[in-house]
Amino acid sequence: MDTATAKKVDPVLLQLQGIVGEKNASDAKHIRYAYSYDLSFVEPKLPDYVVMVQNVEQVQEVLKFANQEKIPVIPYTAGTNIGGLCIPERGGILMDLKQMNKIIDIDVADGVAVIEPGVSHAQLAAELTKLGLRFGWPVGPPSASVSSCAISHGIGGLNARYGLQSQEITSMEVVLPTGELVRVGSCAIQKNAWHSTLPLPKLDGLFKGWLGSSGVVTKMGVNVHPAPPLLKIFTVSCETVEEMYSYMFNLSNYEICDDITAVSWWLSQVPIPYPYTPKPDDAAEWNSYATTFSWTEAERDARAEIWEKVVAEEKAKGSSIEITHYPEEALKGRTQLPSQVVGSTKNYCKQGGAGISWPGTFTPAKKWAPVYTRWREILIGHNLSPSVRMSMYRGVHYGMLRAMIPFNKQSKEETENARQAIVECLRVDLDEGGIPYKPPVDFAKEINLRADQGYLMLLKRVKNMLDPNDIMNPGKLGI
Amino acid sequence: MEWDIASLEDLEHYIWRCTACGTCKVAYDFGPPSTCAPICPAGTEFGFEGNMSSKGKIAFARGILDGTLEFDEELLDDMYRCTICGGCQNQCQLDHKPFIPEIMEAMRRKAVEAGKGPLPLHKNLTQSLKDYNNPYQGPRRLRTDWARPFKKAKKPIKNIMKEPAEALFYVGCTGAFNQQARAIPTATASLFQKLGLDFGILGDNEVCCGSTAMRVGDAEEFKRLATHNLELFKKLHDEQGVNTIITSCAGCYRAIKKDYILSQDYDQMMDGIRVVHTAQYLHELMQKGELPITGELKTKITYHDPCHIGRHLNKFEVDTEGSELWPGAYLGMSEEDCIYEEPRELLAAIPGVEFMEMERNRSNSYCCGGGGGVMTGFGEWAAKNASLRVEEGMGTGAEVMASTCPFCNFNLGSGAQRIQSPMKIMDVVELLDQVITEQE
Repeated sequence: MDTATAKKVDPVLLQLQGIVGEKNASDAKHIRYAYSYDLSFVEPKLPDYVVMVQNVEQVQEVLKFANQEKIPVIPYTAGTNIGGLCIPERGGILMDLKQMNKIIDIDVADGVAVIEPGVSHAQLAAELTKLGLRFGWPVGPPSASVSSCAISHGIGGLNARYGLQSQEITSMEVVLPTGELVRVGSCAIQKNAWHSTLPLPKLDGLFKGWLGSSGVVTKMGVNVHPAPPLLKIFTVSCETVEEMYSYMFNLSNYEICDDITAVSWWLSQVPIPYPYTPKPDDAAEWNSYATTFSWTEAERDARAEIWEKVVAEEKAKGSSIEITHYPEEALKGRTQLPSQVVGSTKNYCKQGGAGISWPGTFTPAKKWAPVYTRWREILIGHNLSPSVRMSMYRGVHYGMLRAMIPFNKQSKEETENARQAIVECLRVDLDEGGIPYKPPVDFAKEINLRADQGYLMLLKRVKNMLDPNDIMNPGKLGI
Repeated sequence: MEWDIASLEDLEHYIWRCTACGTCKVAYDFGPPSTCAPICPAGTEFGFEGNMSSKGKIAFARGILDGTLEFDEELLDDMYRCTICGGCQNQCQLDHKPFIPEIMEAMRRKAVEAGKGPLPLHKNLTQSLKDYNNPYQGPRRLRTDWARPFKKAKKPIKNIMKEPAEALFYVGCTGAFNQQARAIPTATASLFQKLGLDFGILGDNEVCCGSTAMRVGDAEEFKRLATHNLELFKKLHDEQGVNTIITSCAGCYRAIKKDYILSQDYDQMMDGIRVVHTAQYLHELMQKGELPITGELKTKITYHDPCHIGRHLNKFEVDTEGSELWPGAYLGMSEEDCIYEEPRELLAAIPGVEFMEMERNRSNSYCCGGGGGVMTGFGEWAAKNASLRVEEGMGTGAEVMASTCPFCNFNLGSGAQRIQSPMKIMDVVELLDQVITEQE
């Protein structure tokens, strides 16, 4: 290439290439374009640069440089969230962490796996299987990142027993927006001890639920658990959301399940009907599955006995609840990380066409029924299916309430219709005390509108303390 | 001859069915036991999302269609940094699944039509097709060099243009011109002679199947070659009694079975002609008890599934009219045409062979890295990727990596050489030729 035709090299790109190597930093438009959108309704926006970091030192160097130059940095692992969390609000450097994908250790005795941010659920599942261990698999794609899901308060198939994925975090190594490397939890005191965030001050909270705006997690310890061999899944159906809530509340009191989930008829269809289709008259509106794993047949039978008692109690209240039967393979799929056989989020939206978003919330269980009733009206009013899921979290009576809303992303009108419906649903839930998780900016603004001023002041102060130049995924918190 | 080759615009509906979920990025099965492995050679080497599997290529396609992306040098490079192996397609479950390789190639066709593609090294290849009817700039007379020993041994192979035969052995350009891969047609012909088959070759009248042109987006050159071949096949059937075309090249097989059907005249031209891969043909003979294996090979062998006779032959069911689900819905897939078991059963039938399976096999086979124009456009990367595959084979304890594709054979050989691996790369027919003796 002669000098007349040579592309003018951007000094920022040169600097980034100096840190991560020439082939791992790019400002090519097509490379940036592939990071500009995700499954959600969030409007596509391009980063200015993409870097693919290989190790902690590179993460530190990129952040030091970006902080000095006040360039935004967006951490990225797989981009499979459906809240536009990795879509840059103000351009900047997209930091792709997927090649930092080592499972550093699986300590069977401590029940802890230490992983890098690029470790996928598929990768962890394959290694845990060999050791007879398990983790709560979400319904996301196999390539999604374990640590990103955990720090974003994602859910998994063991939520009723162990809580959210974020509650499974035992320790973290984090690079701050200013480039310093810090540790929180037991690994901060003894570098090879990854067993617990307690009894120290819970500084891990500085990096959980912050939507990648407070630092880059470069190592994480997560609890992994022995896998009991005997699976039993309790399945029921009923006509109304009130009846379903009553059953789930009752069953959760006994704390015998790993997962207690109910789905509306529309979500039990794979794919979700798009646009809205009325359910058949003879189909129940709600179906539930509750998973249990046992070590012995006697234990399994004892759990089943409790479940049958719960169902009898609900029937005695006049509930339309009925025990349902499904093929074993279909039931087993509920405990697995989605694969070609099981399907996942991707399948939910295939009729809609490329797009899926949600009002995904943590909501008190007692509010599920009134919120669902309003959501149903709103969504049907927008010609969208009320494809709703409710899941109990660790023995306490709140949990995940969300509607998975597919839409045709090729059409701007249909995308906007879905966005409006979802935001409308979200407002209903927020007013009932629910809080969205992995929220797009639209949601974050709605949260902040209702927030206590002291909370917002503290949030801003902490953010400013960690990220004085507001370079980490700026704009996502809506502050 | 009229052809139905889709443009990128024709496929736009399907391009918008990709959710960007990234399921295509790893070969994964929960099992138990769970298995998980990289499936995309380009993603493994380059790593950016755009390089990664169909998710990335679909992003390019969207950007080209919405006018955001132009065919600049960097985009072209990344469009061609894809082996079109179909590994990502095998993971996907959305409506665009059946069309994933088609979308990638349609992008390339659009670049070629715009006068921007293919890459300069590919242009050498397509120019060679125009000049020599093969991608290797090989003079016509050299096409039969591999067959000279047969003539010398007074066992000449029939020239099917002159003598009738029941079967045409369609050699393919790689087997004919590539020094290393020449062992494959040699072993095939040797084996066929030992088995007393009535077959002939086109000799220096053979022209390329057109696969390489199609893979790099030169649809016009593909059509020229494919039209020539279809007309020739019909003539051979009508005039020389050819009922079967046998090829030991996975690329040729794929082209004839999957690309030639895009001709509106395919059924008419191929009426009465059956196309089989050597592995299928020999397997059928084995099942009929007509493959007399007398020798033994005391060795550990693993098998590399070529993409072109593996998952490229998946048959997809699409609800075109929307009578079952909705228009364009992907309904399901059949692997009945994929040649997975035949080579394995042939190898297992050889006394003394200990068969070792690699973790990534059959529909989740890891591409050698040579396909889709990558060996021509990015030779070093192709060999590097092949090294990864050879290493996977070495991990099984195998001493021989068998395959059924001259292209894979050559590229895997380069990969083995690159890491100084003792792994021997051989075709299944080479191994069989060693254990079958001439029939009385």
